[in-house]
Amino acid sequence: MTAGDTATEAEARTEQDPGLADPWVTIVWNDPVNLMSYVSYVFESYFGYPRAKAEKLMMQVHRAGRAVVSSGPRERMEVDVQAMHSYGLWATMRTSGGSDGGAAGGTDGGAA
Amino acid sequence: MTPFRSAPAGYVARWEPVEREVLARVARDVAELVRADSGIGRDVEVGEGVAFTGVGRVPSDPAVRRLLPDAHRDDPDVADEFRHLTQTDLAAGKVARLEAFVACTAPGVAAEAGGEEGTPEEQADAAALEARVNDEVVVPREAAQDFAGALTDLRLVLAERLGLVDDEDVEDLHDAVLAGLDDDADELDEPDDGSRDDAGLTAGERRYWGGVFVAAGFAQETLVTEMLEDLRAGR
Repeated sequence: MTAGDTATEAEARTEQDPGLADPWVTIVWNDPVNLMSYVSYVFESYFGYPRAKAEKLMMQVHRAGRAVVSSGPRERMEVDVQAMHSYGLWATMRTSGGSDGGAAGGTDGGAA
Repeated sequence: MTPFRSAPAGYVARWEPVEREVLARVARDVAELVRADSGIGRDVEVGEGVAFTGVGRVPSDPAVRRLLPDAHRDDPDVADEFRHLTQTDLAAGKVARLEAFVACTAPGVAAEAGGEEGTPEEQADAAALEARVNDEVVVPREAAQDFAGALTDLRLVLAERLGLVDDEDVEDLHDAVLAGLDDDADELDEPDDGSRDDAGLTAGERRYWGGVFVAAGFAQETLVTEMLEDLRAGR
């Protein structure tokens, strides 16, 4: 897990200034079953991320074990987590300042 | 089993009758499992537009827990509230697409579902039956995401039963299954002594379910590759 990836990671879908405006993040965790192509498909089709960003997040999940895939208000993250579970991806949410292992750079996670 | 290819009617592959039978049966079993462990009765329709307000309790089966996982790692209140709000809907969606997968793949289902008089769904089944003459599995584009999702859920449950915990386990299984295909079937079948591995499977069971897992992965990989290509091309 490298925190260095974070700065370029999560610019999409966040209209407001991050930080206080985006107190929650959605994290996708690696599992041995989901295919890399399928994870890319989910990130591109559901979040509308461009291919490069989707593949980068997918590789981060695969190699680092997890990635912050979206950030926003709690209600929005609940929608995203539910969607990820529907797709069969293993996803959780937490406050972006949380300390559950510092996914994607801890307090910076998803809010860059 | 051939790879899925993009065609005018959708994504098309050829599955042997035995492949249809086994994958449809597993999908049916997984749907039953999810129903049983999320409190959706056997007779409850799970089609579109049906809303559920059931109370989500933590599933007892570890495979179903993987399909309906905790939404928060450290805060049980957040996880419980999320489960309460979403689980029954999520489970119903999974059951619905597993059952659609069965309708699309199972041998002979369409014949029982009735002919021209039937509902649009049954007529679609009849069209699927026609494709079956060529052993074709036809996944219409608008149904492809659900089909791929059903394959994910099916593979997640098989992986749990096979005790596949990390990427290495899956790679080892792939190697073993592919090596088994190369071997002569006669010499492969050394008598099963009935002993069970860590996951509680005999060698024969592991070979069988491992083969199903790998086949489902092949179907999903080739389908999703075509779906991604279409998505990126804006089709």
